[in-house]
Amino acid sequence: MSTTPADVERTVVDFLKRLEKLPEGFDATTPLYADGVGLDSLETAELSALLEDELGSDPFSTGDLPQSLAEIQAYYAGV
Amino acid sequence: MSQRVVVITGGSRGLGAGLVASYLESGDLVATCSRSITPEVEAWLADPELAGRVLFEPADLARREDADRFVKRVVEEWGRVDVLINNAGVARDGILGMFSDDDIDTVIDLNIKGTLYVTRAVSRRMLARRSGTIVNISSVVGRSGYRGLAAYSASKAALDGMTRALARELGSRGITVNAIASGYLRTEMSHGLDEEQLQQIVRRTPSGRLGEPDDIARACQFLTDPRNTYVTGTVMVVDGGLTG
Repeated sequence: MSTTPADVERTVVDFLKRLEKLPEGFDATTPLYADGVGLDSLETAELSALLEDELGSDPFSTGDLPQSLAEIQAYYAGV
Repeated sequence: MSQRVVVITGGSRGLGAGLVASYLESGDLVATCSRSITPEVEAWLADPELAGRVLFEPADLARREDADRFVKRVVEEWGRVDVLINNAGVARDGILGMFSDDDIDTVIDLNIKGTLYVTRAVSRRMLARRSGTIVNISSVVGRSGYRGLAAYSASKAALDGMTRALARELGSRGITVNAIASGYLRTEMSHGLDEEQLQQIVRRTPSGRLGEPDDIARACQFLTDPRNTYVTGTVMVVDGGLTG
């Protein structure tokens, strides 16, 4: 079964809600770090682990550092 | 206490086998690995009373692929890892000036790199669930040193450093990380010490004996008790008072 963009969005948004870091107006292009969502290195590791746990693989483990939800969704579209 | 998923590396003999036996006795699901299967592991796998509670995977943890495969299999089988005990290790004794490259690589690759590979894979699972406990089996020689055990002592000191760093890194996510600095045990891993050296150690040990795997297993059970979340980043010395 393939991973849809909606699956990825649900996983990421649920994670950000749990962290209480879901910004107003969050969308697929919102930067995940610094002035966007503001994920730190440990939170990024958590997101990486969660994506692998729930979706079977994760883009961070390939050595890439996706900058937005859209880039994470693009990874799963190509898997 | 509910049934935990416990991963113990190097559990096929000696101290590792004692740790596996302890967690089987406490009713947990126990996964272990080593480069080859032993009669102890075969007996656990064949025991009908332990059916479904023991998982064994042949693995050389100095190889990253083996470490990842082992952890992946545990998660596929049981869905999570609650406890990781990094016990796998190897000792090579001799004067460092006469050590071969292979001997140095063997000790460093398994004791440090292998431990990091397994811990990386397991800690990701623990991060995703925001819970877990890790115990690194270290040694008093990592603190006091011992003639002829430079590489081994260095590797155990490295584990102590890793323990403190990871405790800080993962503490906010409900994951505890501790180490046990084991004293001298009467197992096959007595590091090439001869009987005279062992007797000398006994004479200098306040408790008047060498350690047994059970001494370490009981300390491990304490550190992995889910109630003990306030104990993290510590290296617990279990050595009969030798280095006290």
